[in-house]
Amino acid sequence: MKLSPKTEVGAEFTGKGRTISEARVFAFSGGRLNGPGWPARNIHTDLEFAQSCGLQTRSVSATQYMGYLIELLIDLFGENWLSHGKMDLKFIAVVDVGDRLVPKAVIISKESEGPRTKFSLEIWCEDQRGNKVTIGTAMGLI
Amino acid sequence: MSEGKKRTQFSETEEFEPFAFQVSPELNEQYLYALQDYHPRYLEETDSTTPWVHPGLLLNQSNLTRSPSFGLNAGMAGVHAKEEVEFFNPAKVGKEFKVTWKVVEEYEKRDKIYTVIQALVVDEDGREILRRKTTGVLAKGQK
Repeated sequence: MKLSPKTEVGAEFTGKGRTISEARVFAFSGGRLNGPGWPARNIHTDLEFAQSCGLQTRSVSATQYMGYLIELLIDLFGENWLSHGKMDLKFIAVVDVGDRLVPKAVIISKESEGPRTKFSLEIWCEDQRGNKVTIGTAMGLI
Repeated sequence: MSEGKKRTQFSETEEFEPFAFQVSPELNEQYLYALQDYHPRYLEETDSTTPWVHPGLLLNQSNLTRSPSFGLNAGMAGVHAKEEVEFFNPAKVGKEFKVTWKVVEEYEKRDKIYTVIQALVVDEDGREILRRKTTGVLAKGQK
């Protein structure tokens, strides 16, 4: 799935889908596994805590599904993306425990930058209902 | 949640106490499980490099809630609205990392106060790993 200088604007890519179980939310947002106070009570791990803050439900940490988009971008640009890559995101919907998310990308522009090709992509994560939960852009070089 | 100074909003240019953390193979694997991403680059040692830290771990550990001087009043929580991230170098398992934060902007939109916080993650050798700009809004309960 890696991009090449010949990859065309408009090309679409789909990453690995994941169902976000409670155990994985605890692993991400509960602090150090089996450390003091584990699992931490916060808006990601505890419904009562979330409701005390005026939220309707727990919400999966946005940094958790940013990780899904990063995996897709490393697949597209290679590991070197972690030495120059950028992404810019808005979080537009609550992601609940048990939701299934799929990271996606489409190339919106490409241009030569010296010996390399710079790609800009629209990126997003979609839930099991087809709703986008985060939208944004990413940039990388090949 | 830390026992830091409690607050209901932030002030521009405010800086927070830095946070240092070391990434052990066990901590990295906890995040690989959370993210369902067991790529060999995060697990395998080669002649030229040690395993890489999953970027998701670095993002989670550089949330402002990690600062020892961060705290919110009961019934309040920060909710992530926007994020800009720039990566400079891969991070290696076994290293210690330091996160610094500063408030760069605060603005009001639709009766909500948004705070923009810049974070920088640097490893023990002084290599910049990532810089991020997070926009958050405070959620408040009835109490």
